[in-house]
Amino acid sequence: MSTFETFEYLTKSRPFQQVFDDVNRLLDKENVSREERYPFVLAVSEALTNAIIHGNKNDSQKKVKVSIMVNEKLLSADITDEGQGGLERIRHRKPSTPKDEGGRGIDLIEHYATSVGYVQTPSGGLKVEIRIERKTNSVVEE
Amino acid sequence: MKFMVKAEGGTTVVTLDGRLDLSTGTNLKEEIKKVCDKGANRIHLNLQKVEFINSSGLGSLVSVMKQVRLKKGRLTLSNLAPYVREIFDITQLSNVFEIHETQQEALMSTGKVAAE
Repeated sequence: MSTFETFEYLTKSRPFQQVFDDVNRLLDKENVSREERYPFVLAVSEALTNAIIHGNKNDSQKKVKVSIMVNEKLLSADITDEGQGGLERIRHRKPSTPKDEGGRGIDLIEHYATSVGYVQTPSGGLKVEIRIERKTNSVVEE
Repeated sequence: MKFMVKAEGGTTVVTLDGRLDLSTGTNLKEEIKKVCDKGANRIHLNLQKVEFINSSGLGSLVSVMKQVRLKKGRLTLSNLAPYVREIFDITQLSNVFEIHETQQEALMSTGKVAAE
């Protein structure tokens, strides 16, 4: 079985709860275990937050596109913003110190993901491609 | 996210219930500011009912810690679910926060220090 779905969210809607619900609904459909679910939802949440704050810079009219694909072997998410210069921002980011209030999102994505890709879109936005390979025994048994 | 605030001896215990992220983190900071404004400087956060936390949620906790320390107070945390604890470990915030296994352990520790 494989599930694929693309969602678009307006920045102004602050869609954190909505994305959480949408992603979990797809993971439910594919019987993804709680153990595997958390890192994936976390990674998507981090990329979404970055897309809204750093990519779209809280511009209420800009959108974030989230594409989710789940199959037996892979959890996959592409998160695309409508900002500018995201790739440069990623390349030149500074490591966070323990007392910083921000700057840990990319570290967490990279910790949990099997691979992460950063791609500049033709319009200058940033697409973050998160891939997490599934463990063979992680599907919840009916 | 819901907050339940309760006085336990000389410590204000705040129990967090729900998801801690960018939007709810702002609510947490406001809630703790209210508690601090009332004069509390020993604050305990019970995270048992936190079902999800991300880096923005962690950032709000760092902000709360700074707020409490500014008042020369003390902030403790307890009851972190394994996945929440793991995120503290990955980001090395386990070394920054005073984390206890249980609320009782945290309150006993806070009481001992206050008595010294």
